[in-house]
Amino acid sequence: MNIRLHISVLVTALTAALFLMESPLPSHDTVSARAVAYAQDSWQKEFDDICSKTQDAMLFNVEELRNLIARCDALKPRIEKLEASERKVATKKLSVCRDLYEFVREAKEKK
Amino acid sequence: MNSCAKPRKRSDAMRRSVLYWIGALCLCLSLTAGAEGKNLPPPQDYGVTIMGAPGEQRVLPAVRFDHWLHRAFYTCRLCHVDLGFAMTRNGTGVKADMNAQGLYCGACHDGQRVHGNRAIFAACRTSIRPEAAAECNRCHSVGIPVKRMYDYDSFTRKLPKQKTGLVDWEKAEEQGFIRPSDILRGVSVVRPRMIPQGDFIINSRGLWMTDIIFSHKKHADWNGCEVCHPDIFPSVKKGTVRYSMFQIAEGEYCGLCHDRVAFPLVECQKCHVKSTPHPGKGVEGAASRP
Repeated sequence: MNIRLHISVLVTALTAALFLMESPLPSHDTVSARAVAYAQDSWQKEFDDICSKTQDAMLFNVEELRNLIARCDALKPRIEKLEASERKVATKKLSVCRDLYEFVREAKEKK
Repeated sequence: MNSCAKPRKRSDAMRRSVLYWIGALCLCLSLTAGAEGKNLPPPQDYGVTIMGAPGEQRVLPAVRFDHWLHRAFYTCRLCHVDLGFAMTRNGTGVKADMNAQGLYCGACHDGQRVHGNRAIFAACRTSIRPEAAAECNRCHSVGIPVKRMYDYDSFTRKLPKQKTGLVDWEKAEEQGFIRPSDILRGVSVVRPRMIPQGDFIINSRGLWMTDIIFSHKKHADWNGCEVCHPDIFPSVKKGTVRYSMFQIAEGEYCGLCHDRVAFPLVECQKCHVKSTPHPGKGVEGAASRP
């Protein structure tokens, strides 16, 4: 009986320890890493959503193009907060995408 | 009046015809001379980009980038839009730490991404171990003899060739020898398939030269829209962008790719395809939509 009790206490303790190891209280590092990952993920999602439409740029009307350009401009400050190398690539990609929308908008307005 | 107009018309036609043939002859001679004088680089060196400014102090030799090898597997758009590579030599400024972060070359060359049934070798890391120098020399190979995994001659043996002996990549794709990928998982934005814009005519100013039929489809399949617009061609409105063969030969407009990576300018008839010349009515380099 005693042995059974010991075993059950041991198992409970081990389970609790494992549980605590898996989910520690969030440290500053974890929080900031998660925040960075989230921020990165969120700019990337917005970028993908805006720039996945470049193939159809000619199909949009001027208003839709203006909206896409405005979204590009709104995304820029978020990209500027990225680490230098990543910022360099993302800025270039965003500018290529924005410039195309701007180009098509101008072409449509001049028509 | 009528009796005067007829001979004049005939003499005009004759003058045009003479000019056409003289022009064609001059062009053939100049291109032949050009091809021999200027000497296109040997096919294995055509389109090679040297990464690293001359005179720059470096630990390793400059990088030799073979466009012919990469274009066989990937579209131009993938690298020049999705990975952010510039269109001009040394315009990107790739550094080892960027590769190590999975940017630029490191997006594919990470030692993990698989091509065919093989992992793509990893690009530079920030620290270079002496025993890894041979690995570095796979790319950092300017001026040193390196045995390459892909040898140009054996790689291109079965591929269709142009008159110049260079690979005809367009035919190679049509005939199923290559299938350049336009997507890099985890990097590329997933796009719907593009609906190509219509082809259009670019009038040739030369009386003796046929007009160009520009195929949007051919160009957009590999480049998307962003590679050309607006940086290389800043307008689509008829007559607003004018350019000459001189500018193209200097690397502007079409010449940014053609004569450097895409087929060379001596392959006139690959662009000047419209069979009847349009003497006098064209504006050089001015696009007109049908």
